Amino acid sequence: MNRRTVIKNLALVIGGAALLPSCLHDPGKASIALKKINVSADQERFVADVAETIIPKTDTPGAKDLSLHLFVLKMVDDCFSKKDQDAFIAGLDKLSKEAENRYNKPFGQCSQAQRESLLNELDHKQAEFQKAQKGQSKNAKKELPADDMLAFYGITKGETIFGYTYSKYFMTKQIVYELVPSRYNPNFPVKNLKVAIKNG
Amino acid sequence: MANLNVDSAKQRTFDAIVIGSGMSGGWAAKEFTEKGLNTLMLERGRDVKHNIDYPTTNMYPWEFKHRGEVPYDVQQANPIISKCYAFKEDAMHFFVKDNEHPYVQDKPFDWIRGYQVGGKSLMWARQTQRWSDYDFEGPARDDFAVDWPIRYKDLAPWYSYVEKFAGISGNKDGLDSLPDGEFLPAFPLNSVENHFSKVLGSNYQDRHVISARCAHLSVPQPIHIQQGRVMCQKRVLCQRGCPFGGYFSANSTTIPWALKTGKLTLRPHSVVQEVIFDDKKSKATGVRIMDTETKQVIEYYAKVIFVNAAAVNTNLVLLNSKSQRFPNGLGNDSGVLGKYFAFHNYSARISAEYDGIMDLTTDGRNPAGGGYIPRFRNLKKQETGFLRGYAAGFSASRWQNTDQSGVGKGLKENLANPTLSNWKVGSHMMAETIPKETNTLTLDKSQKDAWGVPLLKFNIDYDDNDTKMKQDYFEQMTEMFTKAGFKNIQTYDSKQAPGLDIHEMGGARMGNDPKTSILNKWNQMHACNNVFVTDGACMTSTSTQNPSLTYMALTARAVDYAVGEMKKGNIA
Repeated sequence: MNRRTVIKNLALVIGGAALLPSCLHDPGKASIALKKINVSADQERFVADVAETIIPKTDTPGAKDLSLHLFVLKMVDDCFSKKDQDAFIAGLDKLSKEAENRYNKPFGQCSQAQRESLLNELDHKQAEFQKAQKGQSKNAKKELPADDMLAFYGITKGETIFGYTYSKYFMTKQIVYELVPSRYNPNFPVKNLKVAIKNG
Repeated sequence: MANLNVDSAKQRTFDAIVIGSGMSGGWAAKEFTEKGLNTLMLERGRDVKHNIDYPTTNMYPWEFKHRGEVPYDVQQANPIISKCYAFKEDAMHFFVKDNEHPYVQDKPFDWIRGYQVGGKSLMWARQTQRWSDYDFEGPARDDFAVDWPIRYKDLAPWYSYVEKFAGISGNKDGLDSLPDGEFLPAFPLNSVENHFSKVLGSNYQDRHVISARCAHLSVPQPIHIQQGRVMCQKRVLCQRGCPFGGYFSANSTTIPWALKTGKLTLRPHSVVQEVIFDDKKSKATGVRIMDTETKQVIEYYAKVIFVNAAAVNTNLVLLNSKSQRFPNGLGNDSGVLGKYFAFHNYSARISAEYDGIMDLTTDGRNPAGGGYIPRFRNLKKQETGFLRGYAAGFSASRWQNTDQSGVGKGLKENLANPTLSNWKVGSHMMAETIPKETNTLTLDKSQKDAWGVPLLKFNIDYDDNDTKMKQDYFEQMTEMFTKAGFKNIQTYDSKQAPGLDIHEMGGARMGNDPKTSILNKWNQMHACNNVFVTDGACMTSTSTQNPSLTYMALTARAVDYAVGEMKKGNIA
């Protein structure tokens, strides 16, 4: 998701609301233009709630503040195969139902603890799956897990973290990205590192 | 062009024509125009003006729609160019997509191209090493290809000449295998690269790790300031085009210099179909192009023609330049045109970890990329079961690791608090391949491209010598890594097709004997003395060095010779 597109879309939504709300913005549809995947407003909201559970708002911005859910949808739309996109959508609906079954309310209305509990289960499965993949030969093509719910979770978590750590906020306020470093110090003492990076 | 009048022909007549605007073409244009010749430079792609046509150069990572990733559809539609390490969202627009200019692969060949003013000099990896006589004497000593018609002493002053202008960073390492040049200060090795250098120094007589020599302005000189270039700012985003002119490209350096003389006509969107050989005059009189925008076919004329279309396309142009005198391609009396094509074998890598020197890391970025291990195998005499050898890159760095497990506040905190890994070290092989008669480029008999030129057929492959050498690289590097105390050593055979090295060489090779070569010791055609080839196509053998610096030196030397011959009336 490009900053300019966000601004453009925002302008469109605001403008649309003032002028021709029923024509310009279909409330049943996702809020951004997607070329391949078909995402409803409800599904978009669910992705936003999952992303917000992964990167919650604290005293610093969370996933929704940074529109990371829109970045996830944009990436799934543009950078994944049809097969992966289908798994993503199928997994999205399954996980949404799973939450309702478990807590008797929509995922978005669950407490942060409930939401985290559900996602952490998937996180453990995801970790096991990745561990098993690591054992395979390096040349083996990385496949998504057969379980669509896990596939959805893996894609959403990966792209949420990607979007977060590559966001303007993170790259200017957390770990600062330098476009023009103007220096190379080949022997830099670890103890002098400004950011809180320690020997691991 | 019979309907065009004499005035029009006059307007289309120059002193010199240079086909191609990249690494070597840019140098040809600079040299010709500085010597006062009206020069036409033809480029098949669009214009890319320094600092104007670098759309992504100042973009932050978050400003890229896909944060640098190549969209799925683009990858699917372009399986070949997608293999190139530099084909990412920030520089995709400088690479030729697979369907833009199709070719026939009798055997797989990953042909990586940059069709624009500046060619691949915009996105190159900027490594620059001189050849030595161990390289020039290779074919004669080891009995392959043909003897190079030149030796180091012929090229040494021209290496100096181009190095001073381009700006090459490096140390004077005093190695006879890799002669020193006119260097700007080197980008120093880091602590672990130095450690490895010392380990090699104390365990082997002839193995060295030196600072990689590269075309970056570590400390610009007045000549570089005059070019409008300033100090390299260590961005290491070079493939986007550099607003500082921190590295050498034709766009930032040779072409603006040539344009300033007022003698250069730069014509983009011009696909050269053939060099015109006039059977009556018994010389080349010009070139025939197709304007890719208007589809108009136009002829341009000149006394001398330099073919610098990049190795593969130079072969294509010459093979397609047929006349009564040369029915099998221009200058091809010997029948070797398009044969003995070679490349560098880049299909092996090795990585490991190091737990020493944990109190140090690096800060900022190293434009040179780290260290360089010059060839040590079979250097002074034959000593293994394979011919020739390999150079290797070597670099060490520490990574920022983050714990990405779980979700929520803890994850968020972890992402902002990376830990520093131990040292990760890596090396890649840059191996010489032996030019063979059976490695060929030929014209397809039936299929033509959108500009009326036959498609090129690739019949190029590795051989047993390459396999043996790769095995040796793995063994020797593993031994050296072990001696250095590196652990978790992992070898990686990419099994990539030829071509991905982007070091295509040969097909119109230099040699003393017109019966077995196309070009003489001045890069001049044996059989057509007003046509010169000074790009990769001229290479008799490949050795292990990154070839661009040698093309630059050969080009400046050949232009100097050509202009001398024109003055003497030998080329008219």
